[in-house]
Amino acid sequence: MRRRPGIGGLQTAAAARDQYRALGENVAKLRTDLMKEQLATFRSQLEEFARKHKNDIRKNPSFRSQFHEMCAKVGVDPLASNKGFWAELLGIGDFYYELGVQIVEICLATRPLNGGLIDLQELCKLLRQKRKHDREAVSEDDCLRAISKLKTLGSGFEVISAGKKKLVRSVPTELNKDHNQILELAQAQGYVTVDEVERRLSWTHGRAIDALDTLLDEGLAMIDDGHRDGKRCYWFPCVSSISSFGADN
Amino acid sequence: MQKLGDFKLPHFFNYPPYFTYSPRFFISVLQPVRETREKQIQLWKELILDYCRTQKIFIIRLEEEFPLFSNSVIERTLSHEAREAFLSALVAEGRAEWLDKGRRNCLILWHRIQEWADIIVNFVKDNGFEDSVMTVEEIRSGIESRGTELHGIDRMILMRALKLLEQKGKLAIFKGTSTDDEGVKFSV
Repeated sequence: MRRRPGIGGLQTAAAARDQYRALGENVAKLRTDLMKEQLATFRSQLEEFARKHKNDIRKNPSFRSQFHEMCAKVGVDPLASNKGFWAELLGIGDFYYELGVQIVEICLATRPLNGGLIDLQELCKLLRQKRKHDREAVSEDDCLRAISKLKTLGSGFEVISAGKKKLVRSVPTELNKDHNQILELAQAQGYVTVDEVERRLSWTHGRAIDALDTLLDEGLAMIDDGHRDGKRCYWFPCVSSISSFGADN
Repeated sequence: MQKLGDFKLPHFFNYPPYFTYSPRFFISVLQPVRETREKQIQLWKELILDYCRTQKIFIIRLEEEFPLFSNSVIERTLSHEAREAFLSALVAEGRAEWLDKGRRNCLILWHRIQEWADIIVNFVKDNGFEDSVMTVEEIRSGIESRGTELHGIDRMILMRALKLLEQKGKLAIFKGTSTDDEGVKFSV
């Protein structure tokens, strides 16, 4: 005879469920504890490492960048806060904040020359000139890191890629794909002509003129009517080295 | 770096667009364009003043060749319009003056007249000429002024500075029989 479901059966089932859950929780807890322990160990080792290689991190840019990479992999951001262990140990927060301020200064100072778009290499060069009294070397990686911190200010600092170059944008100009292609094209000689844009990019005349006019209006391009063949050249200070023409004062 | 004689040229001198002056951009209402163009004018103004100061050039004649206004390395030359525009910008600042209505000759004041007057006063004091008499030519080319900024000064500028000092009662100008021996009696 089939047993009817009774209170006892229900209770047994509930008890079993409870036991399973307890067991499950136990296992999960064990795992978490283990993970926590591992993380703690890792963290302390990372700290140990940082302490041990403090000077290398401070002075050697490539070492510094590798250290950052390692930190990122385990979810530690030494730049997240200026307080706490990392900042105290390495002073690394201050270093990047200072870089950030200097980057802003350079971008503002060179804006009338380049319309607010500057080659990352050029920026680094100017940054090094500005910091020549500091012993610590500054790499492009450091610049990029400092700029990424500036982003949180919402000030519109951004790094964009155009061809082989990385350009740092300090004005809220929106560059579309067309503009970007022109910047890429200009990298060969520092300038482009309307003809060249039409031919190389297979654009219509209107499209080329339109994009170049916008770049002029944004102050990113400069007109040169002095070329021997009489064709108007559009120069882009952001893709030529600034020190080859401006900001020497 | 490129040089003109012993004068070091700034970097922008080798960047071709700085040799193109396009008026339509100067009246632009767009901020970035205006900034770029203002920077262009400013760089040229500084260059002209620097060059004239170091080379002791007092007058630029637009119709004659002027080494600063072309760059053979990049094959660029400033148009007449551009030359006039940059010099006019200096005029607007009181650092230059047109000598004729046709704007062909421009007097460059890398020191303003007042500054030249101060230089004269210092020269007089340094040499103990407080109550002496000198001719204008002596001030310009005499032994006493050798090695000072006054040596070789443009006669027109010198006369204007002297007249300014005369107005302030620091000296008296008296005429000789020819322009060569115009004299100055200091009473600094």
